[in-house]
Amino acid sequence: MDRKIKVVIAKLGLDIHWRGVYLVAQYLKEAGMDVVYLGNKFPAEIVEAAIEEDADVVGLSSLSGNHLSLGPIVVDMLREKGLHNVQVFMGGVMPPEHAKRLEKEFGIQKVYLPDTPMEEIISGISTAVKNARLTGPVSYEIKSD
Amino acid sequence: MPDRTNKDQKGPDHLFSGEHIQSIKDQYQDWFNNSLRDADRETEGKYFTHSGIPIKLIHTPADIEGMNYVEDLGFSGQAPYLRGVYPNMYRGRLFTVRQLAGLGAPEDCNERVCYLLDHGATGVSILFDMPTIRGYNSDDPEAEGNVGQCGAAVDSIWDIDAYFKDIDLGKVSSSIVTHLPSTSLVIPAMYFAVAEQRKTPLTQVAGTCQNDFIMETCIGSGYEILPPAVSFRMQCDVVEWICNNVPRWNPISYNGYNLREAGTDAVAEVGIAIANAIATAEELIKRGLKFDDFAPRLSFFWDLHNDFFEEIAKCRASRKVWYKIAKERFGAQQPKSMLMRYHVQTAGVTLPATEPLNNIARSAIQGLAAVLGGGQSLHIDSFDEAYSAPTEEAALVSLRTQQIIQAETGVCSTVDPLAGSYYVEYLTDQMVKRIFDYVEKIEGLGGLVQVVESGWLHREIANYNNKYQQKIENGETKMVGVNFMRADKAKTAPIRVFEYPETYSRQKAKLDRLRKERNDRQVQESLDLLRKKCHTTENLFPYCLEAVKKLATLGEIEELFREEFGLWAFPLL
Amino acid sequence: MKLKVIDELVERSLNGDKLSIARLISMVEGADEYAPYVMEKIFPHSGKAYYIGVTGPPGVGKSTTVDRLIATLCKNQYSVGVIAVDPSSPFSGGALLGDRIRMHVQHDKMDVFMRSMSSGRVMGGLARTTKEASRILDACGKQVIIIETVGVGQSELDIAEATDTVVVILTPESGDSIQIMKAGLMEIADIFVINKADRPGAEDIFLSIQGMLGRTLLKRDWDPLIFLTSAANNQGIEALYEGIWSHYRYLQQNSKLEERRKRQLSQELRSQIENEFAQILWKDVLKKKDLCRIVDDLWQRRADPQNMARKIVEELLADFGQSGRLRKGS
Repeated sequence: MDRKIKVVIAKLGLDIHWRGVYLVAQYLKEAGMDVVYLGNKFPAEIVEAAIEEDADVVGLSSLSGNHLSLGPIVVDMLREKGLHNVQVFMGGVMPPEHAKRLEKEFGIQKVYLPDTPMEEIISGISTAVKNARLTGPVSYEIKSD
Repeated sequence: MPDRTNKDQKGPDHLFSGEHIQSIKDQYQDWFNNSLRDADRETEGKYFTHSGIPIKLIHTPADIEGMNYVEDLGFSGQAPYLRGVYPNMYRGRLFTVRQLAGLGAPEDCNERVCYLLDHGATGVSILFDMPTIRGYNSDDPEAEGNVGQCGAAVDSIWDIDAYFKDIDLGKVSSSIVTHLPSTSLVIPAMYFAVAEQRKTPLTQVAGTCQNDFIMETCIGSGYEILPPAVSFRMQCDVVEWICNNVPRWNPISYNGYNLREAGTDAVAEVGIAIANAIATAEELIKRGLKFDDFAPRLSFFWDLHNDFFEEIAKCRASRKVWYKIAKERFGAQQPKSMLMRYHVQTAGVTLPATEPLNNIARSAIQGLAAVLGGGQSLHIDSFDEAYSAPTEEAALVSLRTQQIIQAETGVCSTVDPLAGSYYVEYLTDQMVKRIFDYVEKIEGLGGLVQVVESGWLHREIANYNNKYQQKIENGETKMVGVNFMRADKAKTAPIRVFEYPETYSRQKAKLDRLRKERNDRQVQESLDLLRKKCHTTENLFPYCLEAVKKLATLGEIEELFREEFGLWAFPLL
Repeated sequence: MKLKVIDELVERSLNGDKLSIARLISMVEGADEYAPYVMEKIFPHSGKAYYIGVTGPPGVGKSTTVDRLIATLCKNQYSVGVIAVDPSSPFSGGALLGDRIRMHVQHDKMDVFMRSMSSGRVMGGLARTTKEASRILDACGKQVIIIETVGVGQSELDIAEATDTVVVILTPESGDSIQIMKAGLMEIADIFVINKADRPGAEDIFLSIQGMLGRTLLKRDWDPLIFLTSAANNQGIEALYEGIWSHYRYLQQNSKLEERRKRQLSQELRSQIENEFAQILWKDVLKKKDLCRIVDDLWQRRADPQNMARKIVEELLADFGQSGRLRKGS
């Protein structure tokens, strides 16, 4: 049985906006995923949660400008702890150039800007997880040496 | 509400006589049956405004039969104030062109503010960064990554002083967007203390602070939210003290805008704000104030959304609703107590990231609606809304848009130009009725504080968002360039984006210096006193004022509130 | 080969490696074919921890209370494991798990492992998965394990009950005593907590519960304690904490803990046997029997459900008997 996709979602830092992240969480749940919602958390707690929950995906919401300051830290910490297959997605308000930088330089799988249709987010996450599970060690299917 | 079934329409005040209306109705029926094709007839009953008011293919005087010009519309500057709060409206005083500014360190903001003032802005707005809004100092661990982003960093009275350097506080009107009551006790206190230091009497100081407990408890979700009853108490403390001490200051701006952006329709936007005003009034009256003492200083803040005519109707209707409540429910004696004055901002949520230059058109149209609705001051969102706080260039376009409306279009030459439109008057009338119903519903559920505590309002917002999102996903609600007429490869003009200047280290250095220079014993004493007063029913404002003068920081005071009052769990998610 | 990898995971987990622990829990959650092997290795190491079940209707402040308990436990140098269970959507199978919002753990100072779990579409049920996950935490060194469920259904109550101490949380608004009795909460609670006790009605529900306890016909050795708290304001938590430990001390007397756990193991064995049996039987039934035709027979009143079921089982058992062993379904 294929394990459900596990997504850990957090609002970065002090960000107060909840409408977008609330809607994404609902839609992901309706798409059959287990969504662990953290509320406002900082990188260290987000990464701890990703470890404990054995997450496939970490989703970060940022509408208050801290995407470049805090987003990359999450990716770095995940890799430091050995979670190389966890995909990090971001959503929120930021200039397209920052989004590109986050994707190309800082290891964010994809940044979804405000008008992205939900279908795109759902399929983006599903595809990324499917690929990751094929290529990397997965909790569920242990790759033997 | 006037009796619209009054058939005795022979008096001179009625626009149309009974026979005339009947004749119109008959001819309408004729037109409907014979001039329209089947396909057109079938569209009837399928068109609605955003908040659900039915729209007919054609509106006629029959839709406003029974309207009495003098009673229901009147003249500007007179009851019911539907056409405008001042007699001369924009001929006398143009709407204040108030563009938001404020990013990074206060010293940088000062430059932008002076720039805008030089280019013709007549008011100053200061937006804060996330740590300041939520009540943290720039060097608190929670502030990490957020200092100076999206707004100005303010930790102490020194920062307010720097922000308003070289600006005469007796001559500008400053809008201090504190959002939360808990910070409205502190940052305006800093502003007043600076005025005192500069020997500007508080009687000359003019401006607004937002101070809305709905902001604290519903619109932003976070860890450190105070319980609704506490937040509401603080809201009233601020209003009470400022009414008694700073006569030209609006101590509260009932924030329909952020509520609307969070997810409600036009009716709920106004309904909640007015319910809040009613709750505030009742509390202050309990504290011994008279309605006329504080009502003139209550102001409102509306969102200007997409549905052009509905938004105009909403603005007009809100004035009438407030008038009726002030007069009939609270027995207001002074005209100033019955006027609804409001600031209006075009809707950020309608400005997508795709093809951002389109947003100039969107905001301009919304701005026009705002002016036709008769607001007192206006902010037009910048086209890069979906990317970041506005660049100088984008801010200038917004400023110019306002000035173009004021100076080139001629719409300001007459009061309430859309009055008399059958459609607009019909919408306005509908809005008035629906807003009253909504307010009544809240009272029935136990009052505004109660519906917040129980999570009812949060669920309303969540439900609205679900519905609205579905409509966007399935294309029922159209966004040009996004889900409607979407270009395959959307060509976006490269836009320069605001680069936030480094703020954290500067603020930290300032805080270190401040802690060295201040008298710790005095700070501690003032904080201890404030702590004690939290558990009394006394007004907390003067104790906060004392504390900030002694150089207590924003973060320290807010932490004190959290410790004394405890935290409240956001009911959703 | 795979077994070797699992052995390594188990060893690392027993040494406290969080990543490995998390992976093991995922394996039992997903009913991996090697999950039984995992439990075989893990089970002998479990049984050391003290299990606290926390349940109650939605919105009473369970997560906030659990957060405060965790803080108090860590302050007293305990290591803590938490399993927070939330219902999943019956339509999509997905779930929105929100218990971590209220949790604020300083990982450098506190030894805590928290896992959210949804009811999902797990064969064998939520109860088994939760137990297995908590045993993994137990085996890997957590001294206190808190299992938090939303007390809306029988399975959620069962999970809470399969612990050493059951804490039921209510608020003044839960005051309808009939509802409390109907929900089955009276029977399982060792400790009652009235949270948000600063609200009106707290005293009333306190007396109401006292009254119900006094009237209950159940013979209980342990008189359930009742605490008033306001978790958001950190009030009443110390007293609740002491109360929980007092129940633990009560269990230590006269082998009560052993009795209780043996009873639970026995129930678990029984339901596991039923599950296993049902799984195998059902796979065979589906393979062999034309269910559509059988249902048609019932519809036409040519047979009745109970006797038909008996007949089917007897036929299947006869088959098994002939082959000499239970066949594992393919």
